[in-house]
Amino acid sequence: MSVYKHDYRAYTGEVTPLWTRVNVLARYAFSEAWSSKITVTLFTLSLAPIIVFLILIYVANNPIARALITRGNPQAFAIDAKFFLKVIEMQSWCALVVTAWIAPRLISFDLSDNALPILLSHPISRVGYISGKFIALFSSLSAITWFPCLLLFAYQGYSSAEHWTAANLPIAFGLLVGSLIWIAFLSLLGLALSSWVKWRVVATGVIFAAVFVPAGVGGIVTAIMRTKWGFLLNLPFIMSLLWQRLLGAPEFMRSGQSIPTTAIVIMLGLACLLCIAMLNARIRAREVVRG
Amino acid sequence: MMNAKAEAFKDDLAQQPWSLYLTQTRRLTVIELRRNLVSWRASWIYFLAFVPTLIIFIHLLFDSHPQSTMSDDSNVLAGIVQLYYIRLGIFFGCLGIFSRLIRGEMIERSLHFYLLAPVRREILLLSKFIAGSVSALLLFVTAIVADFVLMYAAYGPAGRAYILSATGLAQLEAYVAIAVLACLGYGAVFLLLSMMFRNPTPAAMLVLGWEAINPVMPSLLQKLSVASYLRHMMPVSIAGEGIFALLTVETEPVSGWVAALGLLMLTAVVLIYSCYRIRKLEIRYTTE
Repeated sequence: MSVYKHDYRAYTGEVTPLWTRVNVLARYAFSEAWSSKITVTLFTLSLAPIIVFLILIYVANNPIARALITRGNPQAFAIDAKFFLKVIEMQSWCALVVTAWIAPRLISFDLSDNALPILLSHPISRVGYISGKFIALFSSLSAITWFPCLLLFAYQGYSSAEHWTAANLPIAFGLLVGSLIWIAFLSLLGLALSSWVKWRVVATGVIFAAVFVPAGVGGIVTAIMRTKWGFLLNLPFIMSLLWQRLLGAPEFMRSGQSIPTTAIVIMLGLACLLCIAMLNARIRAREVVRG
Repeated sequence: MMNAKAEAFKDDLAQQPWSLYLTQTRRLTVIELRRNLVSWRASWIYFLAFVPTLIIFIHLLFDSHPQSTMSDDSNVLAGIVQLYYIRLGIFFGCLGIFSRLIRGEMIERSLHFYLLAPVRREILLLSKFIAGSVSALLLFVTAIVADFVLMYAAYGPAGRAYILSATGLAQLEAYVAIAVLACLGYGAVFLLLSMMFRNPTPAAMLVLGWEAINPVMPSLLQKLSVASYLRHMMPVSIAGEGIFALLTVETEPVSGWVAALGLLMLTAVVLIYSCYRIRKLEIRYTTE
């Protein structure tokens, strides 16, 4: 059919607010992430440690069960900052596994199918696109990190005979802030690496390697150069140090070997900036045609 | 009856076109080697292999090397081989190299070209395994030899004397043997995993977790691990720290050649099973 009329006009009707457009992407990303049975399985497995910790809190607060199991040792089953440090560490490892599975599903398909130009031709910016994916990943990770951790804290406060909650509020704060830092970093890292690796299969491995290999390299730097600063490359180690300080748990490093919190924060900030730069370079409305 | 079967098997073997198989293997291996070593995509494996070498080189250039620290550096080198190369470098390197051999071709939708060619599938699989092994060995063995030389070269004449001494050469030989066996063992396992699963990484992470907790497992279960065989071959032993040191189950010391034979047998069994699986391999590109 021939088109003769060329006097097109811009749409003048009501425009949806910018922030709601991000929600559309987040909604679709969320459904894409959760469409896999493996995501559901991983999520369920990630909550299994929470049930174990819940039982431990019950035992710690039940005088009969406690007397039977601990046989008068008051230090056994102590629900304190050290206990919640174990909780946050366990859930954070689970979050890494879930990120390695979900993040490539959110980005790799769009890139490998050359769908980005089509998506970005809609009234949505690159920042909006990344924000939508980030929200989907961040909210999925929230469900296995800070949310169950705070539920455990609340349950301990409810079960404890003493005024436990008021005296231990810094633990709740540490759980929330520590988890938010970790999952925000993981979301950025997962999206950035997935945007650079075309194949979802490879992206899953690269996310794990990006956490473990620098840790090994950091270990080599520490051992060879005889310096503590190599630990800064060891992400699991510096995060454990940060959580331990946020929760107020006892220091596990020797005084001379400890890393200052400022250095940890700067390192995490630099890593986040690198991830943003990677996303900026890769998330563009272009199509690569080879052949 | 048994003799007749054996004779038939011998005849069958003799009638196989071995020279053709050899030519096909050589051609396929060269194609794969080029892909594995001479491409921009392979640069990350160079990074994995040579990053410790770079750090040791910086150490050689800028740090002082009093004679008293030579034994410390021997322990550091053992730690690099045991904790970095075996657990991370060779592990992730082989995961990348060997997963790509079959699964990568499926994702790129090019495996059917090989399967349509008049080449036995076992030849295809073994050629790819040889190419992957040669690539991994070339990179990681070179890196470990360079690490060893650079680590002791910094000590001047004493270091050079140690490198050329019987102790030094035995240590280097053990590290090279460990690297070779690690590449073959992990390579065979990851090649099989890449044929069994659409995404072999989760399974590989389970293998990584298994290898990490293996020292605290009973001695029978320790035999189902690549790292446990290699631990017996380490010239300098690195003990576990913290809770792992308490839980570690010390198995009976095994001589180097028994450990090597055990790992080679594990590799052979995995490869035979892979050959069996590739005969039944079907490609559905739509599900990739």
